[in-house]
Amino acid sequence: MKKDMNTPSKSPATVLGSEESFRLLVESLKDYAIVMLDPGGHVASWNAGAERFKGYRAEEIIGQHFSCFYPAEAVQRGRPEQELKAAAKDGRFEDDGWRVRKDGKKFWANVIISALRDKDGTLRGFSKVTRDLTERKQAEEQIQQQSREIMELSTPVMQVWQGVVVAPLIGSLDSNRTQQFMERLLNSIVETNSPVALVDITGVPTIDTQTAQHLVETISAVRLLGAQVVLTGVRPAIAQTLVHLGIDLSDIITRASLSAGLQVALDILKLQVVSKDSNH
Amino acid sequence: MNESHQGEFRITSENDIVMARKVVRDAATTLGFGITDVTRIVTAASELTRNIYHYAKSGVMHWRSLNQDASVGLELTFEDSGPGIPDVEKAMEMGFSTGKGLGLGLPGSKRLMDEMTIESTVGKGTTVVVRKWLKQ
Amino acid sequence: MVSESISVIKLRGLLLVTVPPDPDDETVSALQEQVLQAMAQHDCKGLVLDISTVQTLDSFFARTVAETVQMVALMGGRTVLAGMRASVAVTATQLGLTVGNSLTALNVDRALDLLNSTLSKDLRL
Repeated sequence: MKKDMNTPSKSPATVLGSEESFRLLVESLKDYAIVMLDPGGHVASWNAGAERFKGYRAEEIIGQHFSCFYPAEAVQRGRPEQELKAAAKDGRFEDDGWRVRKDGKKFWANVIISALRDKDGTLRGFSKVTRDLTERKQAEEQIQQQSREIMELSTPVMQVWQGVVVAPLIGSLDSNRTQQFMERLLNSIVETNSPVALVDITGVPTIDTQTAQHLVETISAVRLLGAQVVLTGVRPAIAQTLVHLGIDLSDIITRASLSAGLQVALDILKLQVVSKDSNH
Repeated sequence: MNESHQGEFRITSENDIVMARKVVRDAATTLGFGITDVTRIVTAASELTRNIYHYAKSGVMHWRSLNQDASVGLELTFEDSGPGIPDVEKAMEMGFSTGKGLGLGLPGSKRLMDEMTIESTVGKGTTVVVRKWLKQ
Repeated sequence: MVSESISVIKLRGLLLVTVPPDPDDETVSALQEQVLQAMAQHDCKGLVLDISTVQTLDSFFARTVAETVQMVALMGGRTVLAGMRASVAVTATQLGLTVGNSLTALNVDRALDLLNSTLSKDLRL
């Protein structure tokens, strides 16, 4: 229901032919919270959908200011007033954002606020249609997580130089993913005979204890093979988290960027060549 | 692979530890486990067989393929009439420590396999069952 | 059953030991003895343990290797573990096995280079 519910110069009732038909229609829509606000933003009418999503009964909420549906941070920033202003100016305002129920629980909503004006253009109030997108958002997040995992599976460990492989890590590491990641990485090291492996964690947004421990496990495994890990894409926030988690970073080489890591890799390889030469 | 594969192997000497590894390696490879999973299963079998030899002197290893809801797996059972484990929970907590005495390899085996059950009675014996499933 | 013979080669003051694919416990224990004897006999400064054909690394093997590494160190030498297989490394890590203070290398060739450069660094200290 993304199309304009009404045009600014006509009231909803006029569009639908009668006050009564409109009232019945609004009442019947349970999947949408349809609320009327007066020009000052106070709740003037309330439908079954609104009661369902927001938890208030009509008697409790009529007369209250609609900013009570917004989370505290949004109210502080003045969002409710800004949205009304935008609706008054442009005729409508649409947004996806967090809203709050009577019990304090947040839900992700799609909201359309339309300005209601009478024939001479005087602002009579606003209609606010809210749709609960929480389920859709959860599904989206799940899809995002899955595509991250697919991306990682299809991002192979690549040899970028003689003796250097790069393994991008995306998302977090649970036991299963760690085993898969380790296998791919170690096989690649053995097959390409690479003494240096760049494990790039740019695609790891936050690092929790589990992921950190599995990362340390992976680094141990690489060492057993006779190769070395350079951890790249380590942002200051992540470095901080690792230290707080008690991970000993003293014998792990870390760099903020993949290119810096590659430089370190090449230095290590050069050293190996030099020491080889100096033995003969 | 819908047929059921199974077998039995008696453990009576130190040599049987490496023989058990070979038997298990064959079984796991035939069932289609990848090289790393085969290594895990064989290593767990090595630990558990060694336990039987060192603590009970003799015992039996049974192995069989599993077929459950289109999933294929391998089950290994290690049975002995040895002294038994007084405190199974404690034995599960004992980690590996190089050179500090023989751990029972139980926590390690559990980590390598998907499922593990231990039944033990002091003075009567021990039965350890481990399973690993093929990942689809 | 006679334990499999382990190949022990002396190479320019270093010992190169090649471990067979699936050694039984007796062979693994014998390895430790042979290494220590050879170290003493030939005054070797380093040991390369070639495990590139080893398919299973269980706790007994790991413990014996770790002990050997310790003993070699006590005799003034250094050890490099060469050519561990990927599947073995994954399993060993999952088991939490360590191989003591041993250095590691991708293969015997690199192991020899590493040992030489490490030993010459030791001398300069």
